[in-house]
Amino acid sequence: MSASREDNTSPDAQLSSHFFGDLLDSIIVDIASECHRIAKLGLDRNLEDEEEELRRSTQARVRAADPSNSGETNSKYVVDIFGQTHPAVANEIFDCMNCGRSIMAGRFAPHLEKCMGKGRKARLKAARSSTTAQNR
Amino acid sequence: MRHSVNRPPTPDAAEDEEKEPTLQEIINIKLIESGEKERLMELLRERLTECGWKDEMKALCRAFIKKKGRNNVTVDDLVHVITPKGRASVPDPVKADLLQRIRTFLNSVI
Repeated sequence: MSASREDNTSPDAQLSSHFFGDLLDSIIVDIASECHRIAKLGLDRNLEDEEEELRRSTQARVRAADPSNSGETNSKYVVDIFGQTHPAVANEIFDCMNCGRSIMAGRFAPHLEKCMGKGRKARLKAARSSTTAQNR
Repeated sequence: MRHSVNRPPTPDAAEDEEKEPTLQEIINIKLIESGEKERLMELLRERLTECGWKDEMKALCRAFIKKKGRNNVTVDDLVHVITPKGRASVPDPVKADLLQRIRTFLNSVI
């Protein structure tokens, strides 16, 4: 249309920008709606797993803090050669060196699996999308 | 006196603009009718996915959902969370390409 004006102020450019914004808004709503659906239906395993882990570690902490529980958690009264009983699940608590959370020793292996396994994937994904974004 | 039975009576308070479509509306209709809007949207979607923009937006959503708790989030919340960052972080070449195509379309219909 009018070629004499600058691109950002000509009515032509304004109109184009308007329609571009329109398209972008629709896409944004689609993404928001998709994420909302995934969250509500519990399809995002990472979210669920973290919620469950949180629950389990608080439970574990409660159990560990209660001394009367130590041999009875599994109704298996295992006695070792020194006559000591140990709980079926090791109940010492320490901090995970990867994510910094308080983890029960007996649950450390599955925790690490998720913490490092999926954490690596998440870090890889983030690295990939940030490098592809940088390459633009 | 009224020819179309389906059309509701125009309220007296209606402004003139409601009867006459704006240029924007006319163009919008042409965009949709010709199928160009759909094509442009798919193209934009594809470009934004390729460059990781969509993943960034999804990550923003998930972070927000984790913070607020997944049962306290509405679609509206998420739209408000990603719109400012989303609009600002469209890569320039993608935006330029789409704007060019839109401008081409405008020139072809005006």
